[in-house]
Amino acid sequence: MIACIVIPGFELRAALRLRPALALEPAALAPEEGTEPRLGPVTAAAEAAGVRPAMRLGEALALCPSLVLVDPDPSTAEREWEGVLRRLEDVGVAVSGAEPGVVYFETRGVERLYGGVEAALKKAVGAVGSSWDARAGAAGRRFAALAAANVARPGQILVVSDEHARNFLAPLPLDLLPLDESRQQELRELGVRKLGELAGLPGGAVAERLGPDGRRAWSLARGGDRRRIRGRRPPAELVESLEFPEAVANELTLRRAFTVLLDRLLERPDRDNRFVRKAAVAARLVGGGSWRRTVTLRNPTAERDRLRAAVGPKLMELPAPVIELRLELVELSDSRGQQLELVRTARAETGVRLQEGLRQVRASTGSGSVCTVVEVAPWSRIPEARALFVPRDD
Amino acid sequence: MVADSGSSRALRTSRRLNEPRPALVVATGAGVPRFVNRQSVALLREEWRVVDRWWTEEPIARRYFDLVLDSGQNVVVFRDEERSCWFTQRA
Repeated sequence: MIACIVIPGFELRAALRLRPALALEPAALAPEEGTEPRLGPVTAAAEAAGVRPAMRLGEALALCPSLVLVDPDPSTAEREWEGVLRRLEDVGVAVSGAEPGVVYFETRGVERLYGGVEAALKKAVGAVGSSWDARAGAAGRRFAALAAANVARPGQILVVSDEHARNFLAPLPLDLLPLDESRQQELRELGVRKLGELAGLPGGAVAERLGPDGRRAWSLARGGDRRRIRGRRPPAELVESLEFPEAVANELTLRRAFTVLLDRLLERPDRDNRFVRKAAVAARLVGGGSWRRTVTLRNPTAERDRLRAAVGPKLMELPAPVIELRLELVELSDSRGQQLELVRTARAETGVRLQEGLRQVRASTGSGSVCTVVEVAPWSRIPEARALFVPRDD
Repeated sequence: MVADSGSSRALRTSRRLNEPRPALVVATGAGVPRFVNRQSVALLREEWRVVDRWWTEEPIARRYFDLVLDSGQNVVVFRDEERSCWFTQRA
């Protein structure tokens, strides 16, 4: 069977980890900068005041003037989500994280280990942690499992057998389908309000009226396809970060800090000469929020300049001054092969000798004794703001 | 994205280069240094002001003096007008 675990409003819950008191007040995830001013997930108190997810900001504030807008914290959300996935992997399931807050896995591998589907799901929900209010569903098909998890109460496990799947889906609302609001509205205006009503229509007519999205929704309403779930490849754990003595917004400074982090990561022995397939740059912002961008490289590489060219430009998208910059090598290749130079240049030889000298200094004086001077704002009128002393342990 | 695994995620903090160091300065009534760390001043080469970050909670207001001491040593001192104390620093 395919199992699905859902954590409703995951991004909001993750953003509230640092301010748990807000979870009991009317609060909602603020819209991201540059997007349509619509709310993200909302707390139960906000829902009680009439505020709904995806509601327009102005409308929500008019309904509930005490509504607290919580800034999105994508870095924390991603870290917490990775923690959830790893805890699930620790209990033996091969997870496929569709999006933060929704995860699928095949129960076949763990059913015998835990004594049945329900016991395996109970174990998985326990592994997620009680603070997330996770719900679990299982069915023969992916969409039916998702629907079951969405219908379940916090901590509840709902297993839908194949023969009951159509009947189970029939009374559920159209919101569960991946259809945009205008399409759903169109269906409602046609008198179609439940999945069963959509599933009962002829597929060709639905495709003609609503296009490929409608056809896919129709197929899902009938249970969806039987695609297998493929477990993800666990990501690598190579992270370097740099804290600034004061908030930095200058692009040149950030680029230099980024280069220092990249150099550190590429020198890490635990990279084991593997190439970088996917990297992420994240930052803790001065206002308390966070920011994160990931880059997947067309060809895995360990070349500093190529990585700089691929990931560096993302720093331009930073929305606010930064107090901590992090660089993560999220995914590394399996291959380690590298074509060596036939003749080593004199400069490379000097570099090797210098590295050896530094290694000996470090061995005799301890970690943190070798530092690099990084110019961060050479034009500054304040002398101590022009350069930083950055420890190098590579 | 990545769980805290302890040793593999070392957080190393950078520090500033050329931080100001406290100095013992005796100044004239006009605020010009006469003695720096108990050495008398032979020549005032240059004087300038730095006023910055007045919009933050840590504003900077400094009066810098580039001096030559009796011993021939070149030294730059400044008076921090926010904290009313003297520092030396390479300019």
